[in-house]
Amino acid sequence: MRVKSILLLGVLALAVSCTKKDNFKEKVLNLTVAAKIKGLDPVNTGDTYSSNEVARVYEGLLQYHYLKRPYELIPNLAAEMPKVSEDGLTYTFKIKKGVKFHDNKCFEGGKGRELKASDFVYSIQRMADARNVSVGWWLLDDKIVGLNEWRDRNKDAEKTNYDDLDIPGLKALDDYTIQFKLKKPYPQFLYSLAMSYTYAVPREAVEFYGKEFLNNPVGTGPYMTGTFTQTNTLKYEANPNYRDEFYPSEGAPGDKEKGLLTSAGKKLPLVKKVIVNILPEDQPRWLAFRKGKTDFNGIPKDNFESTVTPDKGLSDEFKKQGVQLEITPDLDITYIVFNHDDPLFKDNVKLKQAMSLAYDNAEANKLFYNNTAVLAQTPIPPGIGGYDENYENPYMKFDVEKAKKLLAEAGYPEGKGLPEITYDTLSKTVSRQMAEFFKKNMAAIGVNIKINTNTWPQLTQKVKKRKAQMYGMAWLGDYPDAENFLQLIYGPNQSPGPNGANFDDAGFNKEFAIITKMQPGKERAERYAKLAQKYSEQVPWILGVHRTSFVLKHSWLKNYKFSTFNYGNVKYWDIDLDKKKEMVNKL
Amino acid sequence: MGMSKTEVLVNNTQASDPLKGKSLWIDAWQRLKKDKVAVACLIIVILYAIVAVLSGVGLIAADWGAEVGPSYAAPGADYWFGTDIFGRDVLSKVIHGSQVAMSVGLISSLIAIPIGVTLGALAGYFGGWVDEVIVWFYTTFSSIPQIMLLMSIALILGKGINTVYIALGLTSWVGLCRLIRGEVMKHKNREYVQAAGAIGAGHGRKLFKHIIPNVSHIVIIFTSLQFQIAIKSEVILSYLGLGVSGQPSWGTMIDDAKLELARGVWWQLAGATLAMFVVVLAFNILGDALRDALDPKLKGKD
Repeated sequence: MRVKSILLLGVLALAVSCTKKDNFKEKVLNLTVAAKIKGLDPVNTGDTYSSNEVARVYEGLLQYHYLKRPYELIPNLAAEMPKVSEDGLTYTFKIKKGVKFHDNKCFEGGKGRELKASDFVYSIQRMADARNVSVGWWLLDDKIVGLNEWRDRNKDAEKTNYDDLDIPGLKALDDYTIQFKLKKPYPQFLYSLAMSYTYAVPREAVEFYGKEFLNNPVGTGPYMTGTFTQTNTLKYEANPNYRDEFYPSEGAPGDKEKGLLTSAGKKLPLVKKVIVNILPEDQPRWLAFRKGKTDFNGIPKDNFESTVTPDKGLSDEFKKQGVQLEITPDLDITYIVFNHDDPLFKDNVKLKQAMSLAYDNAEANKLFYNNTAVLAQTPIPPGIGGYDENYENPYMKFDVEKAKKLLAEAGYPEGKGLPEITYDTLSKTVSRQMAEFFKKNMAAIGVNIKINTNTWPQLTQKVKKRKAQMYGMAWLGDYPDAENFLQLIYGPNQSPGPNGANFDDAGFNKEFAIITKMQPGKERAERYAKLAQKYSEQVPWILGVHRTSFVLKHSWLKNYKFSTFNYGNVKYWDIDLDKKKEMVNKL
Repeated sequence: MGMSKTEVLVNNTQASDPLKGKSLWIDAWQRLKKDKVAVACLIIVILYAIVAVLSGVGLIAADWGAEVGPSYAAPGADYWFGTDIFGRDVLSKVIHGSQVAMSVGLISSLIAIPIGVTLGALAGYFGGWVDEVIVWFYTTFSSIPQIMLLMSIALILGKGINTVYIALGLTSWVGLCRLIRGEVMKHKNREYVQAAGAIGAGHGRKLFKHIIPNVSHIVIIFTSLQFQIAIKSEVILSYLGLGVSGQPSWGTMIDDAKLELARGVWWQLAGATLAMFVVVLAFNILGDALRDALDPKLKGKD
């Protein structure tokens, strides 16, 4: 154990000597992001990393209540919750008056203009514009009256005509009223208006910056940033013209005791500056947290044992430093994708079942998640309707003998005749270890895996272009509804949509389309569960786990509450400078 | 497979020049023998080569992928070097890593030597515009930072051990090319070359039959230094995730260790760095000793 501390000290000393001295005069939030950012264009934020960044600058009609659980939608740029017609098809929103876009040279005189209802029409047109290849199009595909027709009309035209406003289901009735008409009931519709894809974008900025728009974000959000230059640091300043938004004065039971309501009624955002460092590797991120260079952080797997006690408390070392631990089940699923474009997987269910049986998921939970995750049986995570804790997926049991048998039945006895399969992953240490673990598991039944490493943007591009044969992924829920997890294998959502498996089964598609129109309730949950179970046995993916989030935060970070849908929550966070001055020296 | 090919190389150069070369090589060997440290280093290198060959043909460490014990078992009687995250024997991984390292050194040298020798010899021998073109080419080439070049080659060819061979081979010939060019320039007006010309030898014969065997000791020195550069580069590339994947290499072991140190697992780092340290040091000392031994100016001096 001695070696550990000595070696660590060496690394720490290095980290300290290359960073600047802390500034205690001004409140600054120091955050990290674990992947490179592709740019800040709302219509192309298919991953949680870029969604987080986009949500600091841009806003949508709705947002989640910061404190209340279960999650509750509340107005953001909307003045109030929408009026919904009796048939559930027409949604009419009033938007807030006097909301200004950030001051930017794309506007006349450099002054941000007022947000209008037509900005939402434009922003949703951008999402539907086939030329933008939005990774979020699946969300509104075939949902809004006339939107698909508009998309098709413009797809073949020489140039997308944004002045063509003939979309019966998407109308700005006046400057402050917007109306959506749906083709069929879609209870999840409101969730999509809280997601980054539908955030309001000013047409002036898109036209002024052209291709560079993604590096020049202009929104209405609490923070603004200059031109994004693909560096490893993103810097945000508070928007001086931010509208009157206040910290909530009520929360979930227990929030008051945790001090989460001390800022109630204060004008947001609470901190003037946000600095986000891109640190893809776990260990530098961890070391930055330990030295107080970031305000909160997850716990790397290799540091878990020395940080969290067996009864899920914090070890003394951290307690002394005032660090606090927050444990929350996350609404997510990790999975290994079979690309069904590949004829190898398209028609050979037994091959996929064999590989799934050969994957030792319980061991993976121990090695990579410190045994804190729930082994997935279907894509639906615990905590939402459609999760069935009594169901056991017969192909998620680790059984090498049965796997070998199925592999032989699939036509590849002992793997003979089966070509080498490429597994794409990230060039990060833990990702490589997971890939090696998968390779090792598959080798046991004679399936040969070749590992190929990528950066995050490279991997997402490959998936979007349907070029990755197999790869590991995680899906964080966009909203608390099983639909959001099952749509990952819905045929019409194939790449560039979120169905990266390109799984397409007529039976599944039909039943899924029916259930999603149903109102939430017991019957819907049961049908979700049945559908999820039936098709998980077709193995569109090798299922992984539903993770539990372990977040450590420093004593000076105020108002932090973990949320799966944390986009835009940065405006609620605060820094206690006196506390920071006192505690930083103890680190 | 590591050393055997190098030996073949040495034998070939000797065989191609039995009369003139012999005395130089024997003399060099006798001088090298007196340097105890150099001999020790030579033995170390040969041992690594044997280990690499045995591992390559599957006689030892073939089962590096097998789970032999619990995850992260400390070094002890059962596992001398401990086990890794999947319970694989770290010693086997170190041995397999030496195969990767030695093969990278060997194959990258085999790629770099023909390019460097040919271009250097042509530039030095013909001079004029040939020289200018070649010098321009390698100056331009070497102005590209090596790590950038390695990364772009890895991105074009896809990642994997073959890419590492090619990338390191293609980026390391410039130094050899410069040396050979200078030596050939010196030699081309020497009497023995003029004599060969007088009895009717053409350019090709003068260059390949007479001059190159007389500058070939540079290749030997280059190889011993290139080996250790290639080994280090492979480790760096694999550490950065651009190199070997799917099989153990010292680079990926050090990459693993970056996280494992946090839980007190130091043996992967120790195993890989120790193995690398010893072989790189041995090659370095051997390279220096060879330079002294093969330098004709030091002939007869002790």
